[in-house]
Amino acid sequence: MKVRFRKLLPFVIPAFSIYTLLVVYPFIYSFYLSFFSWSGVGAKKFVGLQNFKDMLFGSYSPEFFNAFWHNVYFFIMLSIFEVGLGFIIALMLATRIRGHRVFQTVVYMPNIISMVLVGFIWSMLLNPQWGLINQTLKAIGLGKLARPWLGDASTALNTIIAVNVWRHIGFYVLVMLAAILDIPKELFEAAYMDGASNWQIVRKIIFPLTVPTFQTLLVLLFIWSFNIFDIVYALEGVQAGPYRSTDVLGTLFYRTAFGGLGSSRTDLGLGAAVSVLIFLIVIPVSILYVRMVERRSER
Amino acid sequence: MIRISTPWKIIIFTILIVHTIIVMIPFSVIFFNSFKTLREIFLRPFSLPEKWSFDNYIKAWEKAELGKAYMNSAFVTSTSVLSILFLSSMIAFVISRYDFPYRRLLYLYIISGLALPARLAIIPIYLILKSFHLLDSLFGLIFVYSATGIPFSVFLLKHFMDMVPKEIEESAIMDGASPWKVFTKIILPLSKPAIVVVTIVNAVGIWNDFFFPLILINSKEKETIPLAVSTFFGEYSHQWELISTALWIAVFPMIVVFFILSKYFISGMTQGALKG
Repeated sequence: MKVRFRKLLPFVIPAFSIYTLLVVYPFIYSFYLSFFSWSGVGAKKFVGLQNFKDMLFGSYSPEFFNAFWHNVYFFIMLSIFEVGLGFIIALMLATRIRGHRVFQTVVYMPNIISMVLVGFIWSMLLNPQWGLINQTLKAIGLGKLARPWLGDASTALNTIIAVNVWRHIGFYVLVMLAAILDIPKELFEAAYMDGASNWQIVRKIIFPLTVPTFQTLLVLLFIWSFNIFDIVYALEGVQAGPYRSTDVLGTLFYRTAFGGLGSSRTDLGLGAAVSVLIFLIVIPVSILYVRMVERRSER
Repeated sequence: MIRISTPWKIIIFTILIVHTIIVMIPFSVIFFNSFKTLREIFLRPFSLPEKWSFDNYIKAWEKAELGKAYMNSAFVTSTSVLSILFLSSMIAFVISRYDFPYRRLLYLYIISGLALPARLAIIPIYLILKSFHLLDSLFGLIFVYSATGIPFSVFLLKHFMDMVPKEIEESAIMDGASPWKVFTKIILPLSKPAIVVVTIVNAVGIWNDFFFPLILINSKEKETIPLAVSTFFGEYSHQWELISTALWIAVFPMIVVFFILSKYFISGMTQGALKG
């Protein structure tokens, strides 16, 4: 439709300017700031690529890669236990078993609770002396298995992952379920007529037809895995204890930019460099995601 | 659909019941703890409270200043969502309904924000708010949420508006209706389903957000719910009866709203996340 563009400007300018100021500009400014050393007050000192060198090859390198691999580990474990297990539970619900509606609602419920609150609830349950988990283990005679789940470097990361799965799995279940229920019923009926087993139906019909959903979910999960912060903060604090065994790039970023006891240097430039590195990891996948979303909407 | 035999039905049903119990346990624990004394929580973890007294509620409510926090969260969430709806629907309308130079480029520019994780840009955001004197201010938070909510909301609204047939507004334009009239009288009312999704996705996200308040808010009287509970948790970490109560007070209303509106929540949030 043709209208003088000038007449349309009042519709465009408010969103355009606030979006540019608080989303696009901060993003560009982070890149700019990553070439400086700056405590937040006084003059910025240009240091070129020094921040990146420090992070990737210098004194911060062990800490950076320690956190980085934890993000990767998060992604792998959550792919198995959220997407994979989510698919299996969705299959169970796709049988339209009695009570499936109630179950769908209940399983989704933890998703609407703030992640930090989820973290605080679980930190009580997981308390070594008085937490319900260890109390239960002792009560049923498995006291040997009781341990400081969050205080032991060998179990802390997996415990955090378990809490994550507890909160998020409902989302994956419901998305997978929607994809399965989208498959035309005739396909199932024809397969049953030909004497196909349920295992064959899952392998030959359901799985191939839900591959696009798997792709979308894995892409989203990748982006989310590199954005993890709240749950680690709530369960282990910004120090990501014990001994940084639960550190992720989000908490490392927080410490470098905003400080926190024990971090040797608080530098907004260095913090910006960490954020740029996370951007560089996430953005190719995010662009892939935006393109998938665009393609989907054009169909 | 998938057909299964009775033994499988029993197995699946059992697994689903176990899953339900695992979901419910943490909530029931904080609920029961909220009526217990600290002694009871430690010594009799599996039994029901001895008496159902609301003492903990009164203490937790006052000490964590949850009333104030609820007001703050409600104010920030509702204002931000309204502002997102206002900003996004206007620009989505223009992109969807009119031809003008660089229209496609403008659209791509806006939705490229879907690829930028906003919290990573927190340092510049912090500096910008500082220069506007909007640090430690609820309006600063609203400002940030209004901007970060735009890409997803524009994407969803524009996509929905594209499906509204052009014929509907053509007669109105013949009658000399201005773009503003077309927008408010025709397109907005017809976009209701998309507006519902945009509202739910943004409201849940903002209500639950912890990261921006953590960095942008300092003073106690401006804390939102997640931040207020977090501060309380730090100060009273050994008083589990009070912490449980505060957590339950923070969580319970969400659960109620969720069960009342579960249909909208589930379809809105699952669609919303996949599309944006």
